[in-house]
Amino acid sequence: MALTTTLPRSTTASVAARPARKGRGGVPYAFLAPGLLLFTLFLAAPIVYAGYLSLRKVKVSGLGLGSKSRTEVWAGLSNYSRSMTDPDWLPSVYRIIGYGLIVVPVMLGLALLMALLLDANRTRPALSSFARIAIFLPYAVPAVVASLLWGFLYLPRVSPFVYALDKFGITAPELLSSSWVLYAVANVAIWGGTGFNMIVIYTALKSVPTSLYESARIDGASELAIAWRIKIPIVMPSLVMTFVFSLIATLQVFAEPITLKPLSNTISFTWTPLMKVYRDAFVRNDIYSAAATSVVIAVATFILSFGFLKLVGRRAFTQED
Amino acid sequence: MTTIPVVVKKRRTSTTATMLLLLGAAYCLLPVIWVVIASSKSAGELFSTFTLTPSTHLFDNLADLSGYRDGLYWRWMLNTALYAGVGASVSTLVSAMSGYALAKFDFPGKGFVFNVILAGVLVPGVILAIPQYLLLAKIGLTNTYWAVLLPSFISPYGIYLARIFAAAAVPTEILEASRIDGAGDWRTFARVVMPMMRTGLVTVFLFQFVAIWNNFMLPYIMLGNDKLYPLTVGLNGLLNQGANQPSMYTAVVTGALVSIVPLVALFLTLQRYWQVDLAAGGVKA
Amino acid sequence: MSKKIAPVLASLTAAALFLTTACSSSDDSPDSGSTAGNEKVALTYWSWAPNMDKVVEGWNSTHPNIQVTVNKQDGGDPAVTKLLTAIKAGSGAPDVMQAEYQKIPTLVSADALADISKEAGSLKDKFPAAAWNSVTLGGDTVYGVPQDSGPLMFFYRSDVFEKNGLQAPKTWDDYAAAAEKIHKANAKQYLGTFSASDAGLFAGLAQQAGASWWGVNGDSWTVNINDAATQKVAAYWGGLVEKGTIDNKPMYTPEWNAALNDGSQVGWVSAVWAPGVLEGSAKDTKGKWKAAPMPQWDTAAPATGNWGGSATSVTSQSKHPKEAAEFITWMNSDPAALKLLAGTANVYPAANDATSALTTPPAFFSDQSDFYSIAAEAGKQTKPFTYGPNVNVAYSAFNDAFGKAAESKKAAAFTESLATIQKATVDDMKNSGFTVAG
Repeated sequence: MALTTTLPRSTTASVAARPARKGRGGVPYAFLAPGLLLFTLFLAAPIVYAGYLSLRKVKVSGLGLGSKSRTEVWAGLSNYSRSMTDPDWLPSVYRIIGYGLIVVPVMLGLALLMALLLDANRTRPALSSFARIAIFLPYAVPAVVASLLWGFLYLPRVSPFVYALDKFGITAPELLSSSWVLYAVANVAIWGGTGFNMIVIYTALKSVPTSLYESARIDGASELAIAWRIKIPIVMPSLVMTFVFSLIATLQVFAEPITLKPLSNTISFTWTPLMKVYRDAFVRNDIYSAAATSVVIAVATFILSFGFLKLVGRRAFTQED
Repeated sequence: MTTIPVVVKKRRTSTTATMLLLLGAAYCLLPVIWVVIASSKSAGELFSTFTLTPSTHLFDNLADLSGYRDGLYWRWMLNTALYAGVGASVSTLVSAMSGYALAKFDFPGKGFVFNVILAGVLVPGVILAIPQYLLLAKIGLTNTYWAVLLPSFISPYGIYLARIFAAAAVPTEILEASRIDGAGDWRTFARVVMPMMRTGLVTVFLFQFVAIWNNFMLPYIMLGNDKLYPLTVGLNGLLNQGANQPSMYTAVVTGALVSIVPLVALFLTLQRYWQVDLAAGGVKA
Repeated sequence: MSKKIAPVLASLTAAALFLTTACSSSDDSPDSGSTAGNEKVALTYWSWAPNMDKVVEGWNSTHPNIQVTVNKQDGGDPAVTKLLTAIKAGSGAPDVMQAEYQKIPTLVSADALADISKEAGSLKDKFPAAAWNSVTLGGDTVYGVPQDSGPLMFFYRSDVFEKNGLQAPKTWDDYAAAAEKIHKANAKQYLGTFSASDAGLFAGLAQQAGASWWGVNGDSWTVNINDAATQKVAAYWGGLVEKGTIDNKPMYTPEWNAALNDGSQVGWVSAVWAPGVLEGSAKDTKGKWKAAPMPQWDTAAPATGNWGGSATSVTSQSKHPKEAAEFITWMNSDPAALKLLAGTANVYPAANDATSALTTPPAFFSDQSDFYSIAAEAGKQTKPFTYGPNVNVAYSAFNDAFGKAAESKKAAAFTESLATIQKATVDDMKNSGFTVAG
């Protein structure tokens, strides 16, 4: 793999946009075959199977203790109606909306801010590479481990924050109490996600030729104005994509609250929709209801993600050219 | 001179900028610093001394961790490396082939295939885990290395990225030239396309590597034998020992620290590949 | 195919081959299905008790033809989840499984356990009636052999009690008074905490008060989670939390560990296995703890409940149920095995003659020579209690409802929670098709 052809950027850009070449017979299909086969086996089939399961249920007869007392039968849409009318369902949906309203703007705002600051500090490579690595570091920490670490930092008796505030005579709020727990969970996600999004935005910023700013600087524009009028519009497409991926991650929040759950009274088994799926499947052993809720979450994810892209009119997700 | 005020202003902005950057770095490093310090404490100290005071028991803790059930922790580490290494390698190759086909060919059903794969990006792993288990159980593969590896060979996100990279990095002219030279499609792919996509493929590899390294749900469901566990599942087991066992916090904290070391090393050595432009498409080397 | 792709594929194939060999060497060798003659039988055993592999070594060294491999699990709940999924899938279950008593009806209802009455039916007299009842569900079918039990006991910091001029509480009124006195003397100290994440402990406390949350009445189930006895227990603990004389935070958290270790939690209503937990969680307080019988509702009729404890069962997917039954019989009734269980796996064996294996007190309570006689007495006073086929539904509902109640610190919320749990449990049973009376 020693051969690296570095093409002048201008060539890459102009050629890449050209129409793709015509496939000859089965060639593209042959290239796609392994991917499609694996996709079918490990993604499509399980999803179809989940859809099937969501329409089934187990019927027990009598005491349900002998063998053969359990049979699987068609359930129609009863799993769906049961899931959606569960008194815990709507609160978990509202909670996830509130959570998303905290996480997505704060995380992307921080990511954008840090990316702009890195860009502004380009002349100081030591500082900017230290900061870049430090901020990106949490991406290396699995969500389960990250939640555990933050859990230690939240609990009053083992937290250095509480200790430090106490020294100043301030009573720290109990971060896992009902009024704070949403922020406590959101913080773990923000901590873990900011660095990655920052890198995405920073990459977009770096591809902008500096000559573009120079003229603005000569015209006397402040750094803030340059950031606001030139840099942010340039990274807008990247922001849109990070928004979509953050939105998906928000809807799927699971590892953080399930890890923090045993530490507090305030995180219930149905704290987020995906936790409800987990509870039904793994705690209540009712994979049928879990499958029904899964289908609902999957459909909602599609609608939101594609709907958003349609709304902003970007075609990053669709075929280019 | 009229430039003086500009220079002064610039310096002030940049001091603020530096402060803010360092603040951000501190926020991100704090829990990591905490885990380093906590790993140096004995079990008693972990719950009695001030949390940011380091102690001297790091090596004792590492020895204890290594001694846990005849070095099971290191087996978990090897398993994780195997899952992430093999899984990400195969997944990268599969993604490269699919991404290349989607970016550089026109064929009936292309739009459909791409949209279906995109939809796959949106499906959460927790939802897939049970049906995947039930299906793999039908062919008797649960509780084996394959149960974790096979599902990780496919990454819709990897295909999505590979398509972006292929579109940006592989000029159609070169493909035409290669064809005129009489090279077959596979030869072209291996000798021309793959090298051109190299930077992008390393990024795909890293993405998938991190995703598998950090995965919890799939191995948690698939594996019953703790000799096959990856780190995440193993650490979770140390933490949740059931009501009549104390949680092994010292081992968990030390294990958590050790578990992130390889990934951090990977980040530091390969940092130039962590430059992803999701929207415009392309990795700037 | 291109020559350039070949090396890549070759290395992948090599990796795959490596995996195949790795799988077959590390994974349990598949059961051949034949048990005839001298052929070796390999059994897998899922357990979460520590050092269970050392107990099993005692069997493996003397039974070369029936070799058992232990797969350590993450605890009772994950193990059951995995087993049920494997049963649903039709493959993947171990031969032998550690099963908590409260999970046995669930497992039986899912047809996950094999009947071993032929091989183990004669063991009945070697176990306390309550434990034996848990593995037979009151019938003739035997779904496992009892392994350990967890009679409730009370543990307290004798130094703190002495300082406050207190005795170990004989009644729950004594306990409440002691809690108040300790917390008044030092606002940072609590005699205990109400843990909403430990439904098993609360069930044991209700059991002590005379509740039995499920029952079988002819051909239908009864559910009595909201009965008078449980109401009494909920109101009692809710009262203490509302007053603020005990804490409201869950157990088994770093916070709780720290509180035990630094002397903020000075008592623990727990079970016979508590010394192991205290040793790990509260190292610095060694020698300061004492064990006592449970505080009572009625000293004239001393009673206690159970928290934890499990049986060993053969799964319905085992291809060698006979050999598996032989193994679990040995493990839970052979004197040598009982000694190993008590000594290395740190469990309190359920078998009647286990007391002979338990002569010296646990290390963390080395000064208390009567530790195991208190435990034995508690074991005899354990009240009967029936578990239903959806314990997990009730327990998870308990978590959520009592989590809210504990957070609100209102006694009324505690007693109201019971109605929520009762409804969730009955609704779930009816939805599955169980016949439920009332």
